[in-house]
Amino acid sequence: MTYGLLMNLLDMVVMIGIYSIAAISLNLEYGFTGLSNFGKVAFFMVGAYTYAILAQAGVNFGVCMVASAVSAAAFGFLVSLPALRLREDYLAIVTLTSGEILRTIIQNQGIGGGYNGISITQIFHFQTLMAIRLANIGLAFAFLGICFIFSQLVANSPYGRIMRAIREDQTAAQSYGKNIQRYKSQVFIMGSAIAGIGGALFAQYSAHIEPGSFLPFLTFTIWMMVMLGGPGNNLGVILGAAVVQIFQKSAAILKDYVHLPVDPINVQYILFGILIILVLFYRPSGLLKESPVKPPKLKEPVNV
Amino acid sequence: MANTPWAQILLFSIQTGSVYLLSAVALTLTYGLSKFPNFAHAEFMTLGAYTGFFIANLLHLPLPLTVLVCILCAFLVSGSLGLMSYKIIFGPLLRRGSSLIHLMIGSMALGFIIRYVIIEIWPGGTQSFTLPWPEASNIGPFRIYIPWILPIAAALVAGVSMQLLLTRTNIGRAIRATASNPQLAMASGINTGRVLLTTWFLSAGLAGMAGLFIGMKASFSPTMGWNILLSVFAVTVLGGIGSFYGAIAAAFIIGLAENVGVVILAQFGLASDYRTAISFVILIVVLLIKPEGLTRLFKGN
Repeated sequence: MTYGLLMNLLDMVVMIGIYSIAAISLNLEYGFTGLSNFGKVAFFMVGAYTYAILAQAGVNFGVCMVASAVSAAAFGFLVSLPALRLREDYLAIVTLTSGEILRTIIQNQGIGGGYNGISITQIFHFQTLMAIRLANIGLAFAFLGICFIFSQLVANSPYGRIMRAIREDQTAAQSYGKNIQRYKSQVFIMGSAIAGIGGALFAQYSAHIEPGSFLPFLTFTIWMMVMLGGPGNNLGVILGAAVVQIFQKSAAILKDYVHLPVDPINVQYILFGILIILVLFYRPSGLLKESPVKPPKLKEPVNV
Repeated sequence: MANTPWAQILLFSIQTGSVYLLSAVALTLTYGLSKFPNFAHAEFMTLGAYTGFFIANLLHLPLPLTVLVCILCAFLVSGSLGLMSYKIIFGPLLRRGSSLIHLMIGSMALGFIIRYVIIEIWPGGTQSFTLPWPEASNIGPFRIYIPWILPIAAALVAGVSMQLLLTRTNIGRAIRATASNPQLAMASGINTGRVLLTTWFLSAGLAGMAGLFIGMKASFSPTMGWNILLSVFAVTVLGGIGSFYGAIAAAFIIGLAENVGVVILAQFGLASDYRTAISFVILIVVLLIKPEGLTRLFKGN
């Protein structure tokens, strides 16, 4: 039992790493730029399927990862073309629907095995499950580190200030001569690429993916991580991802080990819903508030 | 294509359109007044189906009476939930000045709460009504089956009553006044808070009815409402948000497009799962070319 719990714990840590990447990608779009992408799962799915199909064809890991990021970015670009000119509510509906349509296409056209999904050989072949999980933790957190640093750099650069300006007041940003359409599209592409990386890692770790793994609830989970942790704060959304994952895994473990009159998984979903409404009411800025922009220090004035 | 039963497809289009009409007229009412798309609308529909299912299993009355009681209960239960959700969640959020995105997230959260409460109460996935419907029969070129005709009749009744409500009654005038200019309505002594509560009750109630008819026609599951929500959004946007007549016209346009589209797609060997894709394409095209939808066609409503 203790061994089983330990394995569950390690599994949870891997998933925290993977979901944190997805949360960082949504944070770029929503937290910093104010874009309501309600189809995050679609970009995650594009990354996962690209990885799975290429890995099955025997392509090497690095190429698979790059291809996943690129294909997700390309899909992001495609969706951004009609979507980004729209108001937040329309953007939400369009992105949400894009995800559902993409899932329908994958299911019905037999892409990656259609309904049955596709199996992927993992890249780590160690003797024990523990070693495999530990290696996966290393891998997920290495990529998380890269995405985190990238996102921090973008957010704290002059570019990041434009992103915030678009979030706060589009008209004002436009009146300063910024082509907000182009900026939004670029942010969308960056966010999608990061989501694609997350999806690829998810596919690699899960060893089997199917259309049913990418339901709209996953999008909602990622939103929950961002809303709870603190939109506009990259450390915050990682914290949010950790809290949400701990919740989810505890419910799953509870279901396995304890007999309750209610299904803990259902209760968990209900509690998530209540939690997010409470966050909207009492702490709309999340657990960690948005960090102020850190401009580079000014040079010391030269004394003549 | 030669043997395609076009008359029957037309009937199905009207039937789909009727269900969309009920649901979209409801959605457009809250969307127009509260200014955000309510994603929990899906679960208001699902709840209607489950309420009817529960009542139908409970009662042992003659069929027409059972159906009437089911419709009434679906309307009241979903409606009350809509009223409560506005009173407890959306009203306070709107007063706090929550952003559009926060309201959408909140409505999604509410949707998940309702959906998983339904799953907890009725586990086991798909359900279906066991009402003793009379056998389907052929009348002229049509094959008629009562559960197919019910939503058409209901949409007719609901459409006419809504029209009368909106144009002939005080609360209807208050609703239209609040929709067009909330500040002015408030200044002229309209209790806009009560108007909003009424619209949420009506909206969720109609959604519950729509859900009930989908459930009666075939089997239903906890994700039933969600599965048609995207089509309902397409109808709402095509009709023009907040436009009553627009939603009615759009409901039949989308209903026809989906039913004919599925037949055409089948010619290319594509599955009927692509039904949603048809309304999605219409949605995108409308948003890009004519974001105000059909509103202009129905000026003065």
